[in-house]
Parts: sequence; structure tokens; C-alpha cells
Amino acid sequence: MHKYGDVIVPIGPQHPALKEPESFLITLRGEKITASSVRLGYNHRGIEKACEERTYTQGVYLIERVCGICSHSHSTAFVQAVEEIAGVEIPARAKYIRTLIAELERIHSHLLWLGVAGHEIGFDTLLMYTWRDREVVMDLLAKLTGNRVNYGINTIGGVRRDVSVKQKEEVLKAIDTLEKQTKYYIDLATKETTLLKRLQGVGVLSHEDAISLGAVGPTGRASGIARDTRKDDPYAAYGELDFKVISVDNCDVYGRTLVRLGELIESFSLVRQVIAKIPDGPITVRVPRKIPAGEVLSRYEAPRGEDVHYVRSNGTEKPDRVKVRAPTLANVQSVSKMLEDRYLADMPIVIAAIDPCFSCTDRLIALRDTQTKKSNTVIWETIRLKGIEWYKQQGVDFTALNKKLSKKLHL
Amino acid sequence: MLKALFQILIFPGVLFLFVFGLCGEFIDRKLCARFQNRIGPPWFQPLADFIKLVSKEEIIPEEADIKVFKLMPVLALTASSVSILYIPTLAERSAFSFNGDVIVVLYLLTLPTFTYFLGGWYSRGVYSMIGAVRSLTQLFAYEVPLFLVILASALLADTWSLSGMVAFYSRHLGYWFCNIIGFGVALICFLGKLEKVPFDIPEAETEIVAGSFTEYNGRLLALIRTSFNIEMIVGASLLAAVFLPFGLNLWPALIFPFYLLQVLFIIVIITFLRLLFARLRLDQMISFCWRFLAPLAFLQVILNLIFKAVLPR
Amino acid sequence: MNEEQIKQELEDKFSFLKDAVSITRKGRIFAQVPLDKFEAVFAHALKKMNFTALSAVTGLDRGDGFEVIYHLNRDGAIVLNLKVLLEKENPQVKTITGYCPSADIYERELMDLLGIKVDGLAPGQRYPLSDDWPKGEYPLRKDWKGPTSAKEAQNA
Repeated sequence: MHKYGDVIVPIGPQHPALKEPESFLITLRGEKITASSVRLGYNHRGIEKACEERTYTQGVYLIERVCGICSHSHSTAFVQAVEEIAGVEIPARAKYIRTLIAELERIHSHLLWLGVAGHEIGFDTLLMYTWRDREVVMDLLAKLTGNRVNYGINTIGGVRRDVSVKQKEEVLKAIDTLEKQTKYYIDLATKETTLLKRLQGVGVLSHEDAISLGAVGPTGRASGIARDTRKDDPYAAYGELDFKVISVDNCDVYGRTLVRLGELIESFSLVRQVIAKIPDGPITVRVPRKIPAGEVLSRYEAPRGEDVHYVRSNGTEKPDRVKVRAPTLANVQSVSKMLEDRYLADMPIVIAAIDPCFSCTDRLIALRDTQTKKSNTVIWETIRLKGIEWYKQQGVDFTALNKKLSKKLHL
Repeated sequence: MLKALFQILIFPGVLFLFVFGLCGEFIDRKLCARFQNRIGPPWFQPLADFIKLVSKEEIIPEEADIKVFKLMPVLALTASSVSILYIPTLAERSAFSFNGDVIVVLYLLTLPTFTYFLGGWYSRGVYSMIGAVRSLTQLFAYEVPLFLVILASALLADTWSLSGMVAFYSRHLGYWFCNIIGFGVALICFLGKLEKVPFDIPEAETEIVAGSFTEYNGRLLALIRTSFNIEMIVGASLLAAVFLPFGLNLWPALIFPFYLLQVLFIIVIITFLRLLFARLRLDQMISFCWRFLAPLAFLQVILNLIFKAVLPR
Repeated sequence: MNEEQIKQELEDKFSFLKDAVSITRKGRIFAQVPLDKFEAVFAHALKKMNFTALSAVTGLDRGDGFEVIYHLNRDGAIVLNLKVLLEKENPQVKTITGYCPSADIYERELMDLLGIKVDGLAPGQRYPLSDDWPKGEYPLRKDWKGPTSAKEAQNA
């Protein structure tokens, strides 16, 4: 409780609106949000440092595990960087296969987002429908790569699995089904009244703010920033394919929905083009284990926005530095702006609308005490006291409760 | 005395309502699942959930006011179960019918919402308090149109007793169609009363976890869930009595099955409605209720006054 | 404006950048900028040359010192990488949040992971390490070893 009846509501680290641990502290006056702050880092796993201690090939699989949803994005960005430093040109067929998987991943990610968005505004029927349809593309990915997520299809110098004629037919068939369903969702999203009421005018991020806060991907494109790495800086086979960059000027959550739905349609057309144009030939070339010294900035348009990898090599088998900038890190900074003066009820959908992926965002380090070199066992009591202390610093006071509990526990 | 005790505890009181409530919950969940392309729960799932909750450890927050926290679910259950005694189920006349019982039923049905507010408020959790305030705010939005349309129906039937209304509409079938707007309004208000989508604002999961009930668990949560089920049955019975052609002048033996059918019909409609929409925001919900439902309810009242003057008795 | 023209403009405007700008491939320009001149170059690129989007800030440990790379993006197509070298003892850069607010989180990352001081950065929550992370431990420094790799090194 604060002055004027302001209440600080902790959203996270564990909260039904968030699918991953992140902490938003929201100050409420009645139902209105007067202030908000973000604390990231709960998913920090030490991947960047771990990459420096492993070979490039090991790194590919490690980097793939930066994120479960856009795993292909990260591994492609990384192998592209390594191939560029090594000066290797990969076979055309490999490029097409990478593009195919990338677009299927985009389809699965956007359908997933649509379902999550539905759930955040209490429209569970939409969630169930989209996730049912998402299974179609998940099955497809499992057939093509062997995995539903973390496909493991990229390797330095090409891809690890070929696409057979039969698989191509299956892809086309599945895409037809998905396109039909997606058109239905577009119809739904543009006509259903309660959906429009909850999406329009919510989470506004003006064009200027989007630029200064560095919004990328669908979040940026919904604020009129028509930037798409696939178009601006083509990689894989995108240079030879024909597609539109979807951008709208709505600047709100509704705009972000429209952009993603539009991109789904574009992705279907891209998959069809890839299947039609895919050339024959080898799928991989040999790359030496030792990569010459150099530095490269690799960019990739992940479903959530531009994914940036910076790789520096030093002539050995291990990279000198790998830096991953996931799209959510660029987008999450605009959330506070979007929440300004909105209602608490808008909070879940506004956060969800940037399609946050916090495991991408946080990357490093194992949690151990490095000075004593031992992994200390943390007892429950320590965690509890730490939690109370932490919340107190954030302005949520549990002192009275703490006292009562201490008496009970004889501390 | 014994008869009254039977009526309160067995039929149409607590036990009947409990079983029927579980059936209602099952139908709601199964239908919902089938419409969403899911398989849905087996028939005993609501009962299994109830038993699981009852057998669980009870945790009460330190900050909470223990008395209020424990009392409120019981009060909610009592209030919602007692009101069935004034609603006709087995025959055209209810167990404790008197002229004016419709007001008592409405009052008893409002009580649970207050208990949810008090229970949530005295849990002292942030989410509970926000949920509590929301459920009370929402109450003021849907209650007025709901009362108005029931008033309209009572005006037309010229009686303040539910049994009297049932008798009237059974004899004058044509009059039932006069209340059609009222029935629609009442259904929507009923969604708000049951805190279901699009009006599940007080327990919006993605915003405030479970609203007033965030801190509840074990037996007390089981009580709350049961009282919600009973509220659903009692509310549906009330709507059936007021707005549906209840007895149809049928054989007395057929009245009870027909009553069950009507209640289930209303539950199915509620399930349909909650599948079709996204959750509204509190401000949107209130403006919807006052801008659309309240005028419609007034229209129904005026129409019924005219009908009463014009139509033959 | 293509890559060559950008290089030309940078070299014309800032004499110290002669031979320090290189185009590695289409859309990638790397420039080595002296620390004291960095702000002028950065501001010029941002305001006059339309490099409006900051893609990322990378910090790295070269062993004999630190390096910070600012990846600036122009119309999505061209990335200008401004590299700054820092000394090993007491590495320090000035904040660029005044120019682009989005740099905030990248600069906090520099502070947390490499121990590079960022001058003028508004106080706020740390990122990405936990609140109880021991002081003076900077995991991305080359001499820092995680417990597992330290053990491995011992066994080898």
C-alpha cells in the first residue's frame, strides 16, 4: 500500500500471464497503471561464455538451445557468421532447405502467438483452434528434421538432412490446410467485436518511439517501420524469392496482430516458392575445423524480429566471442511505454504483443558462488528471506507478516 | 418439521443442488471442450475435483482475517442453496412459496457476490483485493438490468411470487413471447453473475491469477466451487421460472423432467456464449451494461406495462 | 548512399578515421574509433547519416584490454560497427542513452558481464545477472572461469 491508494502489483517472476520467468512491477491506481518497471535475467544460462569454451560445431547445437521457439533462427544466424568468416559458400540446395525450415518456423511461431494472444484476453477458443492448427506445421517440422523444436538441421557448411520428393508433397498439402485456416483467423480478427475492443488502441507505440526505443520485427512493423532483414539484407535463399514486407500504421496491438497474420500468408507463399524452385545438388560442403581470425555481424529475421549475432574468431577451433542479441531484448524496452496510462486488464496482451521470448533474451552463467568454488545448497528459508528482502526493495512490504512468521518458526 | 428438513437438506435443497450442480459443471466443461476440439473430462471429473480439493491441506494466509476468510465460502453456499426453496421445481408451487418471494431469491442470489468480495478483501493478497473490488464493481453493472427485467415479467404476471408467475405463464402461453427481450438481457446478466467469459473480469487468470479466490485452497475452495455450481443451477432455475413456459399445463409428473430440461437448456446457452467472446475490460463491461442492457431492460418494463393494459387477461 | 560513400564521408569528416574504416562485405562497415573521439563520430552517424537504429552493443575482452562495438543500423540494410578500444585497468565508456534510449539494457550488460563502467548511466535494475551475484566477478572476462570449466582445466 502506498500513498493515494497506489498499489504495487508484482507480475512475475511467476505469473499466469507470463510463460517464462520475468518480473514486471506495476503500480496501480484503481485499475489504471501509473508506472511500471521490468527486471530481466531470470533465464540467464551462460550460453555466450559456454560458446567460447566449445568448438564451433558444438556451438551450433548450444546456440540452437538459446530459445525453444526460434531455435532455427539462432542456429542459422550463428552458422552464417561462421561460414562468412571461413569464406565458405554453401550449396544452393542447403540455402533453400534453410529457408524452408525458417519459414515453417515462422508459421509455427506466429500461430503460437495468436493462440497466446487469445488466451491473454480470455478468448480460450481461439487458443485451442490455433494450437490445433499449429500441430499441422509441428508435425511437418518433425517429419522434415526429426524434431518438433530444436531442429538440429543446420551445420557449418550446409544442412544435415535432405528433403525428399514425398516430403515436398506433404509440405504443400499441409500449407494448403494452414492457409485456409489462417484466412479464417484473419476474418475473425477483423470482425469479432470483443476481440477488436480488446486489441484496438491498446499498447500504442508511436512511430517515433518505436525508432528511438529500437523496436524490431512485427512490433516495429506495426508502428510503420517497414524493415525486414529478409528484404533489406537478404540471406539464405531470400534474395531469389518474391515476398512483401507487411507493415501497418496502427501502432497498437491490433496492428501487431494484423502484421503477424499478414506474414503468415506471405510465409505460405514463400514455402510454395521454395518447394517449386529448390535446385538439386549437394546439401553440404566441408569446412575446416579451424576458422581463420576475423569478425562478422550476422543478421537474421526471426519470427519476433531481427536477430543479431556477432562472432569473432581467433584462428583456433573455438570462437573468441559470440554475442547474441535476441529480438525480444530490443522490444522489451518499449513495453513500459506501451503500458503508460493503460488499464491493468491490458497488461497481459500488451506484454504478449511483443511476443516476448525471455529465454532468448537472457543467455549466460551458472548460478554458483565462484569465490568459494562450491555450489552452495540453498535452503528454503534463505530463499524466503531473500524474497521478502527483494520485494521490500521494490516497495512491497511484508514486514508484519515476516514478524508473525518468524515468531511461529522460532527464528 | 421433518418435511422441511428434508426439503432443505435433500430435495430440492443442498444434496440435489450439489449433484445437479456437478452435472451442470460436467456438461459445461464437456461441451466447452468439444467445441474447442478437445476431448474433455470424463463424467466423474467434477466429483473427483471436489474430493481432491476436500482432501487437501488447508492453508490460510497469515495476514488474512481468519474468521471472515473461513466464514465467507460457507455463507455463499448457504445463501445460494436456500434460494432454491422458493423456486418451483417439482410442482408449479415451490416449497416455501409466498407473495414476494422473488425479491427474497434475488437478494439471496446477490449475497454470494458480497461474500466473494469480503473473502477476497480479507485475504489481504494484492490479486485478491483487486479481484474483490472488481467483483463488486461488476455487481453494480449487471444487477440493475437483471432486476428490471425480472420486475417487468412480474408486472405482466401481476404477482410477486415465483409460483404465481409460473402459474400465470403456464396458463397464458402467448404472454411468454412478450418477455423475449428480457430473457436475452437476463441471460447476459447471468454471465456476469457467474463470472464467465466475457464477464470473468473478477477472476481474469492472466491479470490477477484467480481474483478473490487466489488465496483460497483445499476445503474452502471446494466450497466456493460448489457454491458457484449451485448458483448456476439456482440462477438457471430462476430464469426458467420467470422467462420460460414452465409447466405448460402438463401432467404434474412431467413438470420435474421438464424443469431439468429447461435448466440444462440455459446452461448450454451460457456455455455457447462463453466460448464466443474475448474477456471485456471492466470499463467496457460497465459501459456495455449501462448503455445497452439497462435501456433494453427499461424498454421491457415499458412494453410490459403497455401489454398489461392492452392484452386480454 | 552506399557503403563507399559512407566510408568517404566518415573519412572526410573525421581525419583520424583515415585507413580505420573497412568494408568487409555488402552492408557491413567496421570502423576503429579512438575513445575520446567516439561521441562525435557516433552523434554524426546518428544525426547526419541517418544511422537511426542501434542494433546492439557488444563488449569483449581482448586479453590486453577491452573492446566495445556499437552496431548501428541504417534503413535496415547497412550496419556500421563502431569499435572502441579500452584499457585493461579501469575500463570506462560514456553512456549513449542520451542519443538512443534503447542502449540502456546493452550498457547494463556491459557493466554486469565485463565490468566496464558506463559513465552517466541512470541508476536502475541490473541486467542480466542475479541480485546476489558476487561483486567483482565478471563472467565474460577471459580470465574468469565458470566452476565447471575450472574443474575441467584442473583435470586436464
